[in-house]
Amino acid sequence: MRSLLVLLAVLLAPLSPVLAAQVLRISAIPDQNPERLNRLYGLVAAELSDQLGVQVRYVPVIDYTAAVTGFRRGDLDLVWFGGLTGVQARLQTPGAVVLAQRDVDARFRSVFIANRQALKDLKPFTSIAELSQLKNKRFSFGSESSTSGRLMPQFFLAKAGVEPKDFSGGQPGFSGSHDATIALVQSGAYEAGALNEQVWESRLKEGKVDTSKVVLLWRTPTYPDYHWVAQGNLNKRFGAGFTSKLQQALLELSPDQPRQAQVLELFGAKKFIKAPVDQYASIESVGRQLGKIR
Amino acid sequence: MTPAGQMLIPALVLLPLLWLLPGAVHGGGLALLLQFWLAALQPSLDPHLLLTALRGIGVTLAIALWSWFLSLLLGFAGGLLSSVAVSQRLWRCTWPALLIRRLLAFPRSLHELLWGLILLQLMGLQTGVAVLAIALPYGALVARVMADQLDALPLQPIEALSTAGAPAWAALFTAFLPPLWPQVLSYGGYRLECALRSATLLGVFGLGGIGADLRLSLQSLQFHEVWTSLWCLAVVMLLLEGTVRWLQRRWHQPLGSVGQRGLELLLLALLLVLLLIPSAQLMELRWQELFSGWHWPASLPLWDGAGWIQPWLPLIGTTLLLTLLSALLALAITPWVLLLLCPWRGCRPLLQLLGLLARLLPPPLTALLLLFVLKPGLLPAVLALGLHNAGILGRLLLEGLDAQDQRASEALRLAGAGPRRSLLVAGFNTVARSYLSFGAYRADVILRESVVVGLVGAGGLGVLLLESLSSFAWIEVVPVLVVYAALTLIGESAADAYRSRLLSGPLPLEGLNQAVRS
Amino acid sequence: MLELRGVTVPGRQRPRLRAVSLRLEPGERVALLGRSGAGKSTLLAVANGLITPAEGGVSWFGAPASQQPLQRRRQQARIGTLWQDLRLVDELSVQQNLNAGCLARWSWRQILLNLFSAQESEACCRALARVELEASLLVQPLGRLSGGQRQRVAIARLLRQNAQLLLADEPLAQLDPPLARRLLHLVLDLGQSPRALLLSLHRPDLVEGFDRVVGLRQGELVFDKPPTSLSTEDLHQLYASSGPS
Repeated sequence: MRSLLVLLAVLLAPLSPVLAAQVLRISAIPDQNPERLNRLYGLVAAELSDQLGVQVRYVPVIDYTAAVTGFRRGDLDLVWFGGLTGVQARLQTPGAVVLAQRDVDARFRSVFIANRQALKDLKPFTSIAELSQLKNKRFSFGSESSTSGRLMPQFFLAKAGVEPKDFSGGQPGFSGSHDATIALVQSGAYEAGALNEQVWESRLKEGKVDTSKVVLLWRTPTYPDYHWVAQGNLNKRFGAGFTSKLQQALLELSPDQPRQAQVLELFGAKKFIKAPVDQYASIESVGRQLGKIR
Repeated sequence: MTPAGQMLIPALVLLPLLWLLPGAVHGGGLALLLQFWLAALQPSLDPHLLLTALRGIGVTLAIALWSWFLSLLLGFAGGLLSSVAVSQRLWRCTWPALLIRRLLAFPRSLHELLWGLILLQLMGLQTGVAVLAIALPYGALVARVMADQLDALPLQPIEALSTAGAPAWAALFTAFLPPLWPQVLSYGGYRLECALRSATLLGVFGLGGIGADLRLSLQSLQFHEVWTSLWCLAVVMLLLEGTVRWLQRRWHQPLGSVGQRGLELLLLALLLVLLLIPSAQLMELRWQELFSGWHWPASLPLWDGAGWIQPWLPLIGTTLLLTLLSALLALAITPWVLLLLCPWRGCRPLLQLLGLLARLLPPPLTALLLLFVLKPGLLPAVLALGLHNAGILGRLLLEGLDAQDQRASEALRLAGAGPRRSLLVAGFNTVARSYLSFGAYRADVILRESVVVGLVGAGGLGVLLLESLSSFAWIEVVPVLVVYAALTLIGESAADAYRSRLLSGPLPLEGLNQAVRS
Repeated sequence: MLELRGVTVPGRQRPRLRAVSLRLEPGERVALLGRSGAGKSTLLAVANGLITPAEGGVSWFGAPASQQPLQRRRQQARIGTLWQDLRLVDELSVQQNLNAGCLARWSWRQILLNLFSAQESEACCRALARVELEASLLVQPLGRLSGGQRQRVAIARLLRQNAQLLLADEPLAQLDPPLARRLLHLVLDLGQSPRALLLSLHRPDLVEGFDRVVGLRQGELVFDKPPTSLSTEDLHQLYASSGPS
């Protein structure tokens, strides 16, 4: 037995941790294609690193829930959260602060889209009550914890009297991301779906949507969504005033500078603005109503 | 009923499935499904992507290797401690063994994915979570099998050594280990294959490795990229399975000298150590970080009576139905396809290829693919679980048939019976016991696995669990875990009872050895 | 070397041994006779310490059998038993089986090494030579050996153990007469001073080489005398049927 323990000790010896120098770990909920996220947050990391003089590393996560958990655990320092995940993360992490949001985030919308084949009995509409057309259709949300891809669409559907069990098959699908929702609806695997308006618009602009196959049904009313949330202990770890320097760096991203312009473009925003915390109270109450916040 | 008959009966499950099918098909994504299969011929060869895939495979392999290694250590120690015979030798009483056996039932009762999601909460985002998540339930499983094997060994040799004054441990090592060794090797090899599959699956849920790439590229419908990862994984899986089989066969034959086997074992152990260190570096495994700063979501309540109020009956009912249908499907497919196609020369290679694909794709991804043409619900979940396990069971059946004594079926063939008849009468009857017993064991695994297809809306406990986890509703998670654990423990003893009736005698190692040895 | 004083072992219907006393001096070779069920195996199990008698005492090498585990193991290390079912480990090689006799005096390192590589080959060769087996058998897995070869390996294990007191439980039962004689000769040879031998037999026709013959009947000692003075009456007393026993 002793020799076994010795063997184990020898094995584990080289694994003693090399404590990393202070690194600012940034992350984001995986709401789009990973390549796009890698490109975007690689740029963000480089930009922040240059401006703040600290090492910045992008930590990709595959799952919305994992992003919240990582933030709560303190494995992530600064995360681009959606409305719901941001509220979940802040509720679980004492001291966390909201740093910024995009200009579009205060008045965010979702879109409902449909496959053209299914349009025989689905027509674009303007009144929320028309959502009841979606009953008995194959319908896909984005990720389970997405605000614009699940929470708010479900909230508006409920207002129109459509419950998740009313969809074909007794439940909605969860495509996992906004891009996936477009692709699945376009292919006909689902007849309709809901996603983030900003992603929809930008894919339209990029020509990545086949408009002969998929059409817009309805835009939702506005609600607040994405925001940057940071840990409360950054000043202690990186020096006094670090949090406000970080916030400043985000707010001052401007389209005049090439790299910053690229970042803003990938974010689909003109600039970042301060985010009033109380605007997310509405998201929290919807979250509680639908059981995503307990 | 003859054993072969028992092998064919599970096909009755096809009746309800066929009855459900018309209501579930929508075919909307048929074109997508076609694209998916066509993409198999043209995987993306983009060097950047290949590099990512290779790295992903490396991490998955590293997770599998480490978790397997730890689970064997845990299982070995746990097996010794929970064996009644050993306990009797060491402490002259049996209660410590029985107590430890009970305690080990808990880690075993939860699927590695659940362990992963729980440990993720405790330890945060790191690949070590996946390693521990696999090592814990596997360790407990290995311990149980080890203990069963130990207790089935004859006691006389060890008694002889201890009456000659040998210390208890020395006697155990000399008289118990050698007869156990071939079984441990064969079972250990099987566990390594399982560990690779589990590591892939955990990746799908974001715990590191190739699984994440698979899921992301599948979800974004980048099929050419999916196949880059899949083919890489297939090569690794085939190599691993082949090596394991080769070693198992080699060590089941009596070698020219025993010392040679010892030397080979030492070499293998050395190789393992040499592999473990770089793989720990590859996946950035850091033990001290893993065990420091455990962090329970203290702000969230864990326990609340309200969490216990759930519609348990339909939840459990659906879970059991899902398990039963998938298990029967998994059992039925290979024997029937074999029986129907066996006169055709390409039958074996075809089955081997399909089996490989079925094992390769983690069930949740199969389910996602099925959703292209099926409505969400029980059926895609049953098909996903059933097909995956049919791949595992099918390989066992084919290998069992290859390894068996061919003389009986040869005699039948020479007497004019066709290939189908001789397969049915001679072939199936000899392998049926080990196939069915392994099937019972897999049914037990499927019950645990039913949680992983929660994401296609199969209903049952798995869906509730994943939904509660994503809502951080711990007061709901705890009761579901408890019910799940209780259910799997009952399932385990039911499967054991069936297997011991089938085999009448000590349970062989998952029925696998029989096939290997015969 | 071995002393049993008034040893009684309770059984289910009647005692398996009742007040048996027996003494063995160095160099003495004693045969134990009796029908099956007479208590021969029980007596040997008391003699090697597998069974602790309910009443009476056991002494080994002049000292009472110790209850302290370590002490007891030291005493037992000098007692070698040739079991009726041999109790070798089929999965090990001949050499590893021989070395299993050394567990009591070996270090941990040696015990573990023995599982992987050949240890103390010379001593093993000598032990094999004593039992008239080829040294080439050393590397063979035990499972490949014939019945007679295995029996010799079991005896050679006693030699490796360096046992002073040899106990043998019906070692000749399964063997054909010529082979049985050869093996008995070998065992008697080994049982010479300074060793001592206690061997059980169920047939009385092989007792001539022994120094003493002890008769057991229904757990009781009936006679204890040299083989030359053994009478047919003695044997009749031992083997005659006396109702259902």
